[in-house]
Amino acid sequence: MQIYKDYKDHADFLTVYVREAHPTDEWQMKSNVKEDVCYAQPKTLQQRVAIANDFVKRFNYPTQFGIDDMSNAANDAYAAWPERIYIIDERGRIAYRGGMGPFNYHPEEARAWLASRYGEVKHEAPAAVPDKKNN
Amino acid sequence: MKTRGKKLVKWIGIGLGLLILGVVIGLSVMAGGLGGAYGMVRYALPHMHRGTLRVGDDAPDASLLALDGSSRFHVRERTGARPLVIVFGSYT
Repeated sequence: MQIYKDYKDHADFLTVYVREAHPTDEWQMKSNVKEDVCYAQPKTLQQRVAIANDFVKRFNYPTQFGIDDMSNAANDAYAAWPERIYIIDERGRIAYRGGMGPFNYHPEEARAWLASRYGEVKHEAPAAVPDKKNN
Repeated sequence: MKTRGKKLVKWIGIGLGLLILGVVIGLSVMAGGLGGAYGMVRYALPHMHRGTLRVGDDAPDASLLALDGSSRFHVRERTGARPLVIVFGSYT
């Protein structure tokens, strides 16, 4: 997560796990089969916790992490599904509202917001992502 | 008059048919095939919402479960000192 690496000294990052986008029992993607990312849509919060932990473990994911309730309260409040980025400023107001993924998901816009405040920052790119889960 | 009415119905039918065909083709291109188009309509579109939040609005609060599966925190607990970048998503 390059943007985190570049701006973690200036901003806080929080990743929120919401309902699965392409589970095996709904609209599964071939790319997920190829990458061995195959999960059914969680029916319980414990199942969400397990998948979120698999994700963090596989990618050695560095940011703070929160899991949305089965009521999808966070998702509903932020119209977040399937993926979306927001930036909240120090006054607790929305400073950047990203578009709905996947077609309007543009992390470079969030990067541009941070760059406009703190200047361009670019650290060395992280190592390649592992091919298989649970590595 | 009857002939004109039949022609009108015929052209409306053709127009609707072409519209449906265009939508199916468009969705198939976006979703990578007919199966993908079905998946998008059946499973994705009902959950996709633009939302009403705007830049300048107060950020909504929400209770989140931590990775340990037992402790909880609120989004607003993590705001205040510095900007907070929130990334929503899932594994798949």
